[in-house]
Amino acid sequence: MRQIRAEIGAVAKADGSAVFEMGNTKVIAAVYGPREVQNRSQQMNDKALVRCEYSMANFSTGDRMRKPKGDRRSTEISLVIRQTMEACILTHLMPRSQIDIFVQVLQADGGTRSACINAATLALADAGIPLRDLVTSCSSGYLNSTPLLDLNYVEDSAGGPDVTVGFLPKLDKVTLLQMDSKLPIDIFENVMQLAIEGCKAVANYIREILLENTKQLEYRRGL
Amino acid sequence: MGLPDTSRDLSSEVEVDAFRRLFPLRFYERHLSESIRPDGRPLGRARDTTIALGAVASADGSGLAKIGSTTMLAAIKMEVMTPSMESPDEGCLAIDFHMPPICSPIVRPGRPAEAAPVVSKQLSDTISSSGMVDLKELSLVSGKAAWMVYLDIYCLDADGALFDAALLSAVAALSYLQIPAVSLNEDGRVVVVSEEDGGKPEKEPVNRENRKLTLKSIPFSLTCILHKNYILADPTAEEESIMETLVTVVLDSSSQLISLYKPGGPVLANTSAIQDSIALTRQRVRELQKILDEANSGMEVD
Repeated sequence: MRQIRAEIGAVAKADGSAVFEMGNTKVIAAVYGPREVQNRSQQMNDKALVRCEYSMANFSTGDRMRKPKGDRRSTEISLVIRQTMEACILTHLMPRSQIDIFVQVLQADGGTRSACINAATLALADAGIPLRDLVTSCSSGYLNSTPLLDLNYVEDSAGGPDVTVGFLPKLDKVTLLQMDSKLPIDIFENVMQLAIEGCKAVANYIREILLENTKQLEYRRGL
Repeated sequence: MGLPDTSRDLSSEVEVDAFRRLFPLRFYERHLSESIRPDGRPLGRARDTTIALGAVASADGSGLAKIGSTTMLAAIKMEVMTPSMESPDEGCLAIDFHMPPICSPIVRPGRPAEAAPVVSKQLSDTISSSGMVDLKELSLVSGKAAWMVYLDIYCLDADGALFDAALLSAVAALSYLQIPAVSLNEDGRVVVVSEEDGGKPEKEPVNRENRKLTLKSIPFSLTCILHKNYILADPTAEEESIMETLVTVVLDSSSQLISLYKPGGPVLANTSAIQDSIALTRQRVRELQKILDEANSGMEVD
């Protein structure tokens, strides 16, 4: 796995925010909520509305991107992140409200989807939104008959399969599983297990960061 | 470590917060009459400013500027293009300012911020009129190839003084810009020479000498709020929303006035107010110049 680094509270204006780096992939997530629903027609009386937007900065990839939002890949990833986070937020505790998760990719070097989910989890925890469990994510692939963990852009474009797993560490359940390209089933088991191990490692790191953050808050309040 | 007297402190704290929300103007005027602002700054002082260069490794040049909580990330990507017929010796600089929804609770995905195109236009006008970048330096082969510099500025946190922070991050990114080495291909096309393949005799780099831009007059700015007789330097978002009259002064490092911008507002400014704002800006320019020089020299050590 590449080196991971996370920081909580990067955006002062947001209710919760986090920066997450996996190797050269750098992602910033901000959470606003629970707040009043902006579009009354979408308000749900028994649970919170979760919205997510994924966008890439123009300079995040090798060649400058023309259309950072609204293209198919961004819309698909926004949907994936929303559904993943919706599964673990206790939405029934906050009816008639809205939780917005915004994710911005500053540097893209493979594994942006995973970095976004990890950053979103940290931002939600920073915002104090009740969660069923942390969602951690990691990707893995299979090149030259070796399962590889946490592919970067070069390895990803090599044409081998790319498996992204979203995992709830405490409940030991998989919430997100995406794969492209072809892979025989027995090898797939190995690759998926490798990704889950990666997720567990990320989960440990996230827990440490959150603990550190809580200690800082306690210290500042003089407890 | 005993617990603080929470009951009394909390109730007085709640009152202050409620007063701040319900009567924001009176809250601020109470502070202004004592020549201080709620965050403890005197009226003429700007917030703590920091610059970090090279924040985005994949870009040709980048800078992160923070003024208080306002955070701007500027990054530069360069592409080769054919110059236009009227100016075959000049490259082009395209500046774009984005306010993604992470920066502020009022920006929604469907509804972009009002401030974004305004700041974007202000920035491109200021940078082109200040003459900071000599477009002739961006030319590679006269009439055939020149650099197109895409400067994208992303607001990561919007807490007032957006133009100041954006200009500072743009200046920082331009001062850190490393122009990639290019060479002419066999078909006469310009191709980027990658650093790894060292000694290829056919591909002579066309521009090995100028890897960095020479920046002439560097513009620095300060936004001030005018309210009755007070001039507040470097407003936060809260101050901007309550007292709406803003004046932005842009000076260059030799204290020449590059631009003055006062987009209406309920308070009318007389000449002394403008002169006071310019004086405050002059002071600020010295501070910012020092911060930028420190950041640059810090990077040169590498």
